[in-house]
Amino acid sequence: MTQPPRYRLAAGGHIDRSAAIGFTYDGVDYKGFAGDTLASALLANGVHLVGRSFKYHRPRGIFSAGTEEPGALVQLARGARSEPNVRATTLELYDGLVAASQNCWPSVAFDIGAINDLMSRFIPAGFYYKTFMWPPTPRWWLRYEKAIRHAAGMGRAATLADPDRYEHRYAHCDVLVVGGGAAGLAAARSAAATGARVILCDENPSWGGGLQDPDAVIDGKSVDDWITDTTRELAACPDVVLLSRTTAFGYYDGNLVGAVERVTDHLAKPPPFAPRQRLWKIRAGAVVLATGALERSIAYMNNDLPGTMLAAAAGTYVRRYGVRPGDRAVVFTNHDGAYADALALHEAGVAIGAIVDARPPAMLASALPQRARAAGLTVLVDSVVAGASGKHHVRAVDVRLRAGGATTRIDCDLVCVSGGWNPAVHLFSQARGKLRYDDALATFVPDASPLPIIPAGAANGRFDLAAALTDGHAAGHAASLKAGGLNSSAIRGVTAVDGRETSPLNTEPAKAGEVPSAGAPSPAQSLPTSRGAPHANALAVAALRPLWSVAPSRSSAKRFVDFQNDVTVADIALAAREGYQAVEHLKRYTTLGMGTDQGKTSNIVGLALMAEELGVAIPQVGTTTFRPPYTTVTLGAFPGAECGVHVEPTRRSAMHAWHAAHGARFVNAGLWKRPHSYPRPGESEDDAANREARNVRESVGIVDVSTLGKIELQGRDVAEFLNRLYINRWDTLGVGRCRYGVMLRDDGMVMDDGTTSRLASTHYLMTTTTVNAVKVMQQIEHLLQIEWPELEVYAASVTEQWAAVALAGPRSRDVLAQLVDIDVSNAAFPFLAVAACEVRFGDARMPARLFRMSYSGEMAYEIHVSADRGAQLWEAVMAAGVPFAIMPYGTEAMSTLRIEKGHVVIGAEADGRTTADDLGLAALVNPAKWCVGKPLLERPALTLPERWQLVGLTSCDGAAIPRGAKIVVDPDAASPNPVEGHVTSWCFSPTLGAWIALALVARGRARHGETLWAISPLAGAKCRVTVGPPCFIDPKGERLRV
Amino acid sequence: MSDAAIDAIGATAQGRFGATAQGHFGAMAPGHYGASASGTYGAAGAGIVLAPATIATAWNVQGDPSSAVFTDQARTMFGAPLPLVPNTTTRGAASAILWLGPRSWLVLQELASRPVGRADDVTQPAEEVAAQPSAEFDAHRDALSAQGGALFDVTASRVAFTLRGPHAATVLAAQCPLDFDPRAFPPTHCAQSLVGHINALIFRHADAQMFSVMVARSMAADAWHGLCVASASTGYDVAPASPLSIV
Repeated sequence: MTQPPRYRLAAGGHIDRSAAIGFTYDGVDYKGFAGDTLASALLANGVHLVGRSFKYHRPRGIFSAGTEEPGALVQLARGARSEPNVRATTLELYDGLVAASQNCWPSVAFDIGAINDLMSRFIPAGFYYKTFMWPPTPRWWLRYEKAIRHAAGMGRAATLADPDRYEHRYAHCDVLVVGGGAAGLAAARSAAATGARVILCDENPSWGGGLQDPDAVIDGKSVDDWITDTTRELAACPDVVLLSRTTAFGYYDGNLVGAVERVTDHLAKPPPFAPRQRLWKIRAGAVVLATGALERSIAYMNNDLPGTMLAAAAGTYVRRYGVRPGDRAVVFTNHDGAYADALALHEAGVAIGAIVDARPPAMLASALPQRARAAGLTVLVDSVVAGASGKHHVRAVDVRLRAGGATTRIDCDLVCVSGGWNPAVHLFSQARGKLRYDDALATFVPDASPLPIIPAGAANGRFDLAAALTDGHAAGHAASLKAGGLNSSAIRGVTAVDGRETSPLNTEPAKAGEVPSAGAPSPAQSLPTSRGAPHANALAVAALRPLWSVAPSRSSAKRFVDFQNDVTVADIALAAREGYQAVEHLKRYTTLGMGTDQGKTSNIVGLALMAEELGVAIPQVGTTTFRPPYTTVTLGAFPGAECGVHVEPTRRSAMHAWHAAHGARFVNAGLWKRPHSYPRPGESEDDAANREARNVRESVGIVDVSTLGKIELQGRDVAEFLNRLYINRWDTLGVGRCRYGVMLRDDGMVMDDGTTSRLASTHYLMTTTTVNAVKVMQQIEHLLQIEWPELEVYAASVTEQWAAVALAGPRSRDVLAQLVDIDVSNAAFPFLAVAACEVRFGDARMPARLFRMSYSGEMAYEIHVSADRGAQLWEAVMAAGVPFAIMPYGTEAMSTLRIEKGHVVIGAEADGRTTADDLGLAALVNPAKWCVGKPLLERPALTLPERWQLVGLTSCDGAAIPRGAKIVVDPDAASPNPVEGHVTSWCFSPTLGAWIALALVARGRARHGETLWAISPLAGAKCRVTVGPPCFIDPKGERLRV
Repeated sequence: MSDAAIDAIGATAQGRFGATAQGHFGAMAPGHYGASASGTYGAAGAGIVLAPATIATAWNVQGDPSSAVFTDQARTMFGAPLPLVPNTTTRGAASAILWLGPRSWLVLQELASRPVGRADDVTQPAEEVAAQPSAEFDAHRDALSAQGGALFDVTASRVAFTLRGPHAATVLAAQCPLDFDPRAFPPTHCAQSLVGHINALIFRHADAQMFSVMVARSMAADAWHGLCVASASTGYDVAPASPLSIV
């Protein structure tokens, strides 16, 4: 066994001295113990200097022992798991941990950037904004920013893809207790005793929070035993969930609390399949916020030197980690609480140079100062620390009377500072709870909340142990009652944590302040009793005298308020002088509280100093807005498993496997994957699409149209409903026929198109475009439920029920005739006919719906079968088509075919700004009936002759028509060149051997024969085009009907 | 980010062709997620059995529940009354009726014969699916239509998966915002919600540790993948398909 590190105590603390752990910091190997954080292990090895500050590159040490840490931010190096800005104070040590200082070069001890500190009088608050905004063009800030970011950078993000898994978990409870300290444990216990479903979470790996007083007794037990027994009781209760290492970071509407559980971050080798972190979304009936309190600092000269830390943090390192944070300490405070930490340090063998207390002697009459004096500690009353000195570590402090005068130097290597405590009101404020300034505590405490949120314990300004236990107990009980109104399980048959039947009535909370006598163990559901107060974590802020800063002896010396963002007292004064006096302006101008610590130790000090500057009371300055997250949350936790290709669901048709096996390139259509084309070896996608399109014109092709929206309509009023929904007439449609229809939005613009078939007298099938399937269904449901509930029409989406193929081309009937059991001759099954039939192929028998309709302009059919037969149908059609050289075709060929035919597409031609008339579909609008959108078609602007109308364009010179081109008269006219329209769809037509396009052109229908230009200034391309009708092929539609 | 890097994380940008088969987890543990063959996967100590379930017929009944002729017709036809309390179910001899909405129900009938599920690829349909009784369906539709109601065949619309075991509710809670406490979601109740980002109809069997999840056919592969991923940290068994039983 090697010698334990110099600053490790021989005994005490919650560490396991039998489990040594090796780790590396800044390239040096160290040893720590299980139970250490990186910070405690470094301190045990005498390492204080761990980083450089954000702006001035000042040396920074370990300042706290928790999530509020502003200085000890390190780069955790784990390859793809590398992570910047990790708080050393919460980073649990594991074997082989490698971490490094950040924001320093070449090393943390010799950092070039420290020249910023010498230059600091030239770079005050707002310096970057004022200086680097000039000259305004050409956007110099963008260039400066890179250099500034390098100089001021924090750590570096990993450049490799995140290898970890993150899980989500939704949870529901009656009472969520945030914080597992004295108040939180008491609250969870009293809530559980009512039978409520309880979730208790705490950000730390162990329970107890700030409850660490070795002398306190609760329910007749030591603090450690009480914590162990209480958590064991809670864990045994089936309706209680305990979540350690879980930070409740955000409060959202409807009592939804976001929490992140660090499942494997503390392990050297995470077990396979375990998620790294789990994001909890907890819906609670009521929330108890037992989030504790955060200690604050005092701004004196050089108060940022390593070796300076919050008094309670020093106490925590002694008590929890068995570490002496120094050899000789000076404690600087303005209240009783820090005396407990001074005593803990003293008992651990740290020499106490002095306790420097800013208060007058009369305020030091209570027990703790007396104990300190009895222990022989020097207490300097009415005194302040005026400044500290040292280079990379504090060597001494200068002490003087508060009123002023000469200073005395006291040598020390540790300064423990405490200016009081601030309740952690973050979640309370996020939930729009009101805060109240408490003069005695000199801080903001929770006031009223309209929501079922109950702050308890230190978070509620109740700092001593007895009050915290009482408060927690009452809060847990009250929360359970509040939740009862929201979630009845709390008032159903209840099982107490001790297994006995109980009811909320016999768990009446004790009156506030009533602390029963100590000693006897109490039943689980009763109020915990305590003695040995003050609060274990020295939260006794009784008799506090506010002190925010100490006047400096040299005006150039820095007194830090925000240690992470290098905001000093002088910066706040500057902001006040320059008019940035509102607290939100102060924050943004100085960056106070804008670091990753969100100013947990600094905000109150900053706004108190602003109040001093302005000569107003602190409540008048107010606080900045608290927003989630409370502490930083790994970005990967938010998407969870929904990342990569799973960022949204993928929809695949029943024939998808066939497409993939036959070389299809897929394209996204909404969430669907559709085959774009089926390139053969060595063939480009464009060539494949042209081949596929040509084959449809010359022989026969098959395309998967399963993705089209399909809606079945039943009921005696369907025809009337369709009349109201579509612009054209439907009461004339006979059974066994289908018809093309267009529907409008309320504003008269084209919304969607498709065909509707009459399958039986009161049974119809509507098809919609792929991307509008849901929108049309919503429209139908809205109209039936809200507008016309009197219509007997029922609608169901059957998109998923039916797989569909379109068979197109002059040989399509020849293929079909081999497959179906009905006569498909032109006489028996003419254009726009519909029939039920059976597809027979080999032994297979598939009930099917057959439609004769065409999108390509060729003779064409659609066959629909039950989706589970889709693959079988496709194989059957392909096999039957072999003698006719059948080919599958994708969306690209389909698009080419429909452009040649002049069919519009929703989204391209019907882009939400076009009317049926613009698209040349005015003839469909039935003048004799009303339909959705029709009244607003009467608007004058929709009938003007200069509206953009659908035309066809043909390239004059064989050049490609540029994508997204504008239509102009003169391609070389000076800017702004008047735009006459734009190209909506374009392709090379293999049938015509020419580049063609559909376009919307002003007065388009009157300009057939005109020559215009399609230009794309972006691509630097232009093409001379002839305007004509949109239909390039078979304008009379003869091929459809043969 | 380079194209290679985009491919590595499986992102498909608009205009890029080809679904990347290897998903986000593909590089980490191929074969362990989205498992398709029978077997044991994930962490040790399987706490859940996942299996596809074959739906014999699924019919969507719609109509006005205040019309006695309609509800009587439905009861006669399906051997059970339409459930009128939201998210509840009723059972007939070989069928169950699930509440979907104030005027909409799902009638699930069980298979007369038991198809044999495939062990090598459980996501493929069972080898013997009963022929769809299309004439019977048409007769039912006409009968309901005569009483002012409607009947839609949605048998192939959804694919069902069952989750069984002590971790079934936990695995669902990783993907679904509903409260799966039996007091909030009692056995034999159903609900429509999300599983991951996919709409799902969830049924809790009389065995409170067993759920059936029905999702749109086109998204079934993603839903199955999501269930496997969510089950990985507890470990899971994959079993071949069996007929969906609404008990």
